[in-house]
Amino acid sequence: MDAMNEIIQIKNLGKTFKDFWHRPVVVAVKDLNLTIQRGEVVGLLGPNGSGKSTTLKMLLGLLRPTSGAIELFDGRGPEDVAVKSRLGYLPEVSHLHEFLTPRETLMYYASLFGLPHAAAKRRTNELLEMVGLVPAADRAVGRFSKGMARRVGLAQALINAPELLILDEPTSGLDPIGCREVKDLVRLLAKSGVTVLMTSHLLADVEDVCDRVAIMNKGVLCANGATRELLRNPEIVRFSIAGLSTETAADVRMQIEKQVDRPVHQDFPEMSLEAYFLKVVAPEANGQAFKMAHFLEK
Amino acid sequence: MARHSRWRIFLKSDVKTIRKIFGILVISLRAALRAKTVFALLMLMAACVTLLPAVIKGDGTPEGDCRILVMYTIGFAFAILCLATLWAACALFAAEIDNQNIQLSAVKPVRAFDFWLGKWLALLVLNGMLIMAVYSAVYAQIRWKQRQAGWRESVQLVSRHIARPILPTPREEALETYSFLEKQKALPDGFSKAQVLRTLADKARERYTIVNPGDSVEWRFALARPVATNEIVTVRIRFDTEYSTRTQVAGLCRLAPDVPGAQAVEIPLSDFSLNEIVFDVSCEAFGTTKSISGFNLVFTHTGDPAKTSAVMLRFRKDVAVLTQGGTFEANLVRSAIIHWSILALLAAFGLTLSACFSLPVAVFISTLLLLLVMVGTSVTEVVSQEDEKEWLQRPGIIVSRMVSTVAQHAIRMDPLDAIINGERIETAPFMDALLWNLLVVPSGFALCGILILRRRELASGD
Repeated sequence: MDAMNEIIQIKNLGKTFKDFWHRPVVVAVKDLNLTIQRGEVVGLLGPNGSGKSTTLKMLLGLLRPTSGAIELFDGRGPEDVAVKSRLGYLPEVSHLHEFLTPRETLMYYASLFGLPHAAAKRRTNELLEMVGLVPAADRAVGRFSKGMARRVGLAQALINAPELLILDEPTSGLDPIGCREVKDLVRLLAKSGVTVLMTSHLLADVEDVCDRVAIMNKGVLCANGATRELLRNPEIVRFSIAGLSTETAADVRMQIEKQVDRPVHQDFPEMSLEAYFLKVVAPEANGQAFKMAHFLEK
Repeated sequence: MARHSRWRIFLKSDVKTIRKIFGILVISLRAALRAKTVFALLMLMAACVTLLPAVIKGDGTPEGDCRILVMYTIGFAFAILCLATLWAACALFAAEIDNQNIQLSAVKPVRAFDFWLGKWLALLVLNGMLIMAVYSAVYAQIRWKQRQAGWRESVQLVSRHIARPILPTPREEALETYSFLEKQKALPDGFSKAQVLRTLADKARERYTIVNPGDSVEWRFALARPVATNEIVTVRIRFDTEYSTRTQVAGLCRLAPDVPGAQAVEIPLSDFSLNEIVFDVSCEAFGTTKSISGFNLVFTHTGDPAKTSAVMLRFRKDVAVLTQGGTFEANLVRSAIIHWSILALLAAFGLTLSACFSLPVAVFISTLLLLLVMVGTSVTEVVSQEDEKEWLQRPGIIVSRMVSTVAQHAIRMDPLDAIINGERIETAPFMDALLWNLLVVPSGFALCGILILRRRELASGD
């Protein structure tokens, strides 16, 4: 592996939560080792309480590791201001200031990156358009649905055009169209070279977008590898042929059965429910994906 | 070339930092202006400024009305602002940490110092606006009342330099008394030198001169600014005397400038019915063309020894020569700035507590310490040497002393008292108050707050 390409290096990371008297209460993360390369989309999976969010918060400098080390971008610590200027973060709950409008929210976060007013304004408008919030840009965030607040959260995570995007349950609270848009966005970002680390309970989402998954349970990393590699069952081979007549299909099946001397299972591939839903409800969803692609190109 | 580019990088990062701080300032102001509590505070201030002068009954004189307007209205509004500032400051970090808003900001490239400064400046801006509104409303009322009969004659909106008698400081007098007692072997047992000196200095500060009928007392004054012949000097003497014989007291004041060839002016005093005598002397009366930079004042008790009692003067506080200095409006502005600086100090204190504790804990501690500051000064003034020996009382006395020592620069000046008395808030104490309240003490608080913010975990484990 190329060390120059390593965006995140986690070495023997541990986190133990303590009570007021400094007695250990919960071991949230135990001896975690993980490396993420530039441009990868990595999914961090695990049941509730497995230590995913704690790991992300340690990566962001919001929590301090009890043991081990985290190195981001050329060996810097997560508390380094230079590191923070290169990453974007979407927390599990958006935690936005309820009294602000989406436009004010984005302008505020742009100011925290020291963007000049004109650049911040331009970027804000682009992002509002990208997440489809232009009509609601001047309404207080406190009155938004969870999905709309999530879109604002996503926009703020992208305000600095980050090199590393950390998404904690990015599709939580979103409708299927929103989920699809987020997944499309993640794919587009990855194409443009952004490294993405995301957690999700929705395994299908992770499967759809992640190049690699790491699975945690009870604070321990249980599995880590390329998604396709982990999910591939080398004992089963599937052929997909379009437009085959029933007779030809029966003929092919018989031929194969003769060859392998084992029963062959035949079925018709189904589209996912999400894909069917989008086909019925929002055939224009591709339009949003186009906006995102356009934004990223810009 | 390299130095030039390094300078440009520095300048660029500096501009970025200013943008970040400004962003934090703006969002904090927006949060304040859109919160219902701030609206309620504004209503309360408006009610305080408009209703309080109507509700509080004065002594019926224009001076009394003016005193109510300045002392009570501004004082009460300032007290409300103190509490509001303290509690708002306590909420700024604590509430953001409690409801996790800070997580999104903390992962951005902003230093703890930028956060602290941005929020503090927001409180300064907000307090500046509120203080300005309160003072403007009070000033407008004073000007409006000046159109009423009797006001213009009775209430003089002036600002005057104050000169007090040239005397050893209470500390110097205490040291002198201490060495005298030491020589006499009459020092009290069981007390440290510091304790004895503190008590002696306190006593010197409040010491009375007793002027019996027939006696005279003389003081020398050095003016802050020489006065010209066309100016007026004012002599103010406050005193205590026995109530029943007050009307029998009579005196003679002899004011002589320290200019060779100038003549002294004698003013007979017969109205001792109030505890204060104020009289003006035109400098033309001294018969000199030179400017005057000092005076000799002699007060002689001319009352009948058989019928009147002595006059008691706390000469360090009660005797003063006043000369014109600045305008009433400028004095009012200085007073507003001092109040604003005290609010800045409270904001810094609240912000630091807010970085350390949750909102309820920060509010509790800040309010408790504010009360201690208010009570602590009184405690240190009334505490006796015997009290200090009681081990049960000692911790309370020590804490009160510590708190009043830390807060002494903030509370030492009473700008409203100066305004009411027509005394100019002098530049030196004014600058001293600003230096301590706006710079030195807030810097200390900021340092603590920043260190804690950097050490503190801003998220909880889920």
